[in-house]
Amino acid sequence: MAVAVARSRRGLKRIVVGRPGGAARGRGARRFAPGLLVVGVPLLIALAGPLFAGDAGPRGTSLTTGAGHPLGTDFTGRDVFREVLLGGRSVVTVALAATALTYAVALPVGFVCALTRRAWLEEVLMRPLDVLLAVPSLLVVLLVATAVQPGPARLATVVALVGIPDAARIVRAAGAEAASRPAVEALRMQGEGWVRLALGYVGRAVARPLAADIGVRLTGAVYLVATAAFLGVGVAPDAADWAVMVDRNRTGLSVQPWATVVPALLIVALTMGGNLLVDAALARPHRPEKNR
Amino acid sequence: MSATGHRVARRLLLGGAQTAAVVLLVFAATEALPGDAAVALAGDQPDPARIEAVRAAMHLDRPPLERLLVWTAGLLHGDLGVSLTSGRPVAAALADGFGPTLLLAVPTVLLLVPAGIGLGVLAARREGGAVDRVVSAVLLSLYAVPEFALGALLVTVFALRLGWFPPTAVGYGTELASHPAALVLPVLALLARPVCSLARLVRAGMLDSLASPYVAQARRCGLSRTRVRYAHALPNALAPAAQQLARTVDWLLCGVVVVEALFVVPGLGTVLMNAVAERDLPTVQGLAVVFGLVTVLLNLGADLVTHRLAPRTEVAA
Amino acid sequence: MTHDHHLPGLHRRGLLIASGAAGALALTGCAGATDPGTSDAKAEAGTPKRGGRLRAAFAGGGASETLDPHLSNLFADAARAKALYDKLADYGADLSAQPRLADSWEPDATLKRWKVPLRAAAFHDGKPVTAADVLHSYRRIADPQRAFRARASLEPIDLSASRALDERTVEFVLKRPTAEFPNVMAAFGAYIIPASAREGDFDHAPVGSGPFRLVSFAPGRSTLLRRNDDYWEGAPHLDELEFVVADEESARVNALLGGQVEYAHELNPATARALEDGGRVTIVRLRNSAMQSFAMKTDRPPFDDRRVRQALFLVAGRAELVRSALSGAGEIGNDLFGKGYEYYADGLPQREQDLGRARRLLKEAGADDLRITLDTSPVATGFTEAAAVFRDQAAKAGITVRVRTGSKDTYWKDILDAGTLCCYRSGAMPIESHLSQRLLTDSTTNATHWRHRDFDDLYRQAQSTKDPGQRAEVYARMQRRLYTEGPFLSWGFADWILGTARNVRGVARQAPANTLDWARFDKVWLA
Repeated sequence: MAVAVARSRRGLKRIVVGRPGGAARGRGARRFAPGLLVVGVPLLIALAGPLFAGDAGPRGTSLTTGAGHPLGTDFTGRDVFREVLLGGRSVVTVALAATALTYAVALPVGFVCALTRRAWLEEVLMRPLDVLLAVPSLLVVLLVATAVQPGPARLATVVALVGIPDAARIVRAAGAEAASRPAVEALRMQGEGWVRLALGYVGRAVARPLAADIGVRLTGAVYLVATAAFLGVGVAPDAADWAVMVDRNRTGLSVQPWATVVPALLIVALTMGGNLLVDAALARPHRPEKNR
Repeated sequence: MSATGHRVARRLLLGGAQTAAVVLLVFAATEALPGDAAVALAGDQPDPARIEAVRAAMHLDRPPLERLLVWTAGLLHGDLGVSLTSGRPVAAALADGFGPTLLLAVPTVLLLVPAGIGLGVLAARREGGAVDRVVSAVLLSLYAVPEFALGALLVTVFALRLGWFPPTAVGYGTELASHPAALVLPVLALLARPVCSLARLVRAGMLDSLASPYVAQARRCGLSRTRVRYAHALPNALAPAAQQLARTVDWLLCGVVVVEALFVVPGLGTVLMNAVAERDLPTVQGLAVVFGLVTVLLNLGADLVTHRLAPRTEVAA
Repeated sequence: MTHDHHLPGLHRRGLLIASGAAGALALTGCAGATDPGTSDAKAEAGTPKRGGRLRAAFAGGGASETLDPHLSNLFADAARAKALYDKLADYGADLSAQPRLADSWEPDATLKRWKVPLRAAAFHDGKPVTAADVLHSYRRIADPQRAFRARASLEPIDLSASRALDERTVEFVLKRPTAEFPNVMAAFGAYIIPASAREGDFDHAPVGSGPFRLVSFAPGRSTLLRRNDDYWEGAPHLDELEFVVADEESARVNALLGGQVEYAHELNPATARALEDGGRVTIVRLRNSAMQSFAMKTDRPPFDDRRVRQALFLVAGRAELVRSALSGAGEIGNDLFGKGYEYYADGLPQREQDLGRARRLLKEAGADDLRITLDTSPVATGFTEAAAVFRDQAAKAGITVRVRTGSKDTYWKDILDAGTLCCYRSGAMPIESHLSQRLLTDSTTNATHWRHRDFDDLYRQAQSTKDPGQRAEVYARMQRRLYTEGPFLSWGFADWILGTARNVRGVARQAPANTLDWARFDKVWLA
């Protein structure tokens, strides 16, 4: 046991030291380049698009191409190009807010469950979430949507609510694995406090799986907005929002693909780029394993 | 070993309570939705007198608690009740829906596990390497494509252009099992997103384990890299993956709505959508029982796997 | 009589109900588009060929579907009921009642007693259709315990006084003069079943007099029917007819394109446009199938002031609404129900957008800064789109419209008494039915709360007028009133779109949804 402790402490130090190391910084720019490149386009449109959108012109026939509309018209005859310029801001805001909110609840709950030795505490925290998990999310969304009026803040709350039980379980599972490592046992024996354990070691150890989860959850949040749109709840059915556009214009996929494909590609770029950035940020400098 | 047995027994007991809680919650939720089965049935001819008559015929004029108790009494005798809308037994509707659901879920899981874990391991072999980047990028872009768009794409290319598979399962009805070709495209559409989340979790977990002190220790003890990778690092990566897999199976059994609609496979997701829209409470409650049990069993399984892979309690004891 | 649920992502099903009509809309319709049907009309000629199985895809009701014809609620139900059963009468293309099992009808001078001789027809079990069967069917529908949908339509009949004059003649005694009694016999869901039919047999051994017999029925999946060689109107051309359920529009289209079905009901205008010129399938547009309108509640501010209602009439840009909300698949409306139907007042000038006059009217009414909430829901195709378009149009006249999206499951009940302005739709029905169901003081579904004694009197006068010409004049007066100040801002009439395989012949093109020739498969054949 003693050996394990010594080794793991050394390992711990290496992780801590390894991150801000000089080698990593040197590679930084190149590491982030692909992610930045991919995420840049949608982010730029989301932030600056509304400034260039201009006034709404007259409506045309819905779901047609050409006739003065570079990307054709949408399901209510509006100019798709203008809607694309306008529609990024809410996607970015709602997805970010919802994901942040999900983890704001899931992280503490998951960590407490992972680290506590009191079985009852874990049961008290996790079982109610399991109950929520077993309630079809469709029902949850429908119910909350009928209870509250549409709006970005409320939508983010609903999306977060649906995600919390699931996220908490994943945090707990990742945390429990990290917490079972000998290093934690050793730190515990040395009398390290709970908070230091949670934040200092386990938190760092689970950062990677959780970042992976956050990345996909961000995408999930975007599409839950689209789901809400097609359920006719939570969002105005003609809201300028890429996720809503993807859903609402899909009836015209065969005649007017741009109205669906362009916002879909922007969302793909946004979420993919975001995930690549997360990967890059977490990547450790390569250890010259072979030479060892 | 008996400790595990005790644990399972306790969890099962708890699971029963949980299922009851799910049913109660679903009952309350459906009851709280605006309108009831009579209103939904009346549709665009909401003649108040007719709605009242239908309500009386469905016993919806009774207090909710009384209806719940009658239903619960039936459940204790193994009777899930009859649908308000069709008057046929709920059990029959659930059985009808369960077949197609299983036909989609089983092949999906059978492909998902090797594909998800395999791709995750592959990507984790060299972090930031070409393979890692390609796998990550492809998976992420697949993940970001909405199901219906992916489904439409698959149908257009493989069914309508190439003619390899039928575009939908329409008309196969109860003989769906004897038309496996009709299941290929829906299963592919179902696979896209779970493969991504599973592979990314496995990859992240592997990288983490490979960087952990005990793997370094194992290496120093002279274990081969393959052995370290698959016998020591992989199991640890599987703990969160098991949870994710449980969620995916749960989703496959309880909530596949888009793919079912797109390919006309009338499984439990379709039954749920219709039942909620019709406010058909007995059917919704019957589904809640099924979903509650499925979720409890899956979570129990996933927790046992997690526990086995990261047996913290035993260490502490 | 129908509404579909446009759940954008998952088209759940097409609920079909006796008032609303259809969801799909097609495009051409407006402004000089040519009828896509004409070129195929020639191909329709030729000798019908016997044999084959036709598979028809409809949005369905899922696991709760039933074959009890009196429980019909969905388009799929109506199509199946029509294949298995008959009514005494049914609607022609102009929504006038056409005799079916009834051979003819003859009222007495008071219009309160109608003698209806039946034609020689037999049920699937070989027994003849008798007056007793007719009375049994109507009594079942009228059973207050059962609350069948057609019960309200049969309300004028005094069933305890009505009787069988002989084996094949029914005498209906009515509670009051009803000149349009044939409309009652053609009402949605008023099917004739044998007096010997047992409850509980409908789903596995239904006995009707229709052109097809049941082979098998799997709720929410498929219904397989076989030709009835003894059908009174001549045996169908098809050997077999199979109804399959596909709730999602794209699934119906894909199944049609992939050769899995030969007939797909209810397509989107955009889809129709994409397929129209491709030559892979035939697109059929059934005109005048659904009135699209905004309904104003006339018993509360601001619409209790007639000038505000008139201002709203002038705000609507009808062409833009048809173009943008229906994707062009329809025609503009003139604030009246029933374009192309019997008794329609087509002499009234077409109303145009006039924002200046609208502002003046609002000012007169003291409603310069008008703020209204417009209720809408994804319950019918074009609703949410129309709401958005109208909101922008109203803004130009200084009216602030807030769009409120409601649940599709309960929408029709929600808008019956609540709110002030809502999206409204109605399927094909005779103009008389529209008036009696929605615009009389005691109407059961009066969503505009239009209640005027003098208007009721006009309706009663029409019902007591035997001469069709004089009756038409009364209807014209009623429609003029509705046109001038009426509660419905009817901005358009949506097409109902079908797709069929190239070899399908005999599909009627002049048949608004819910009329006799709509979804009628005994005249269809495979080339």
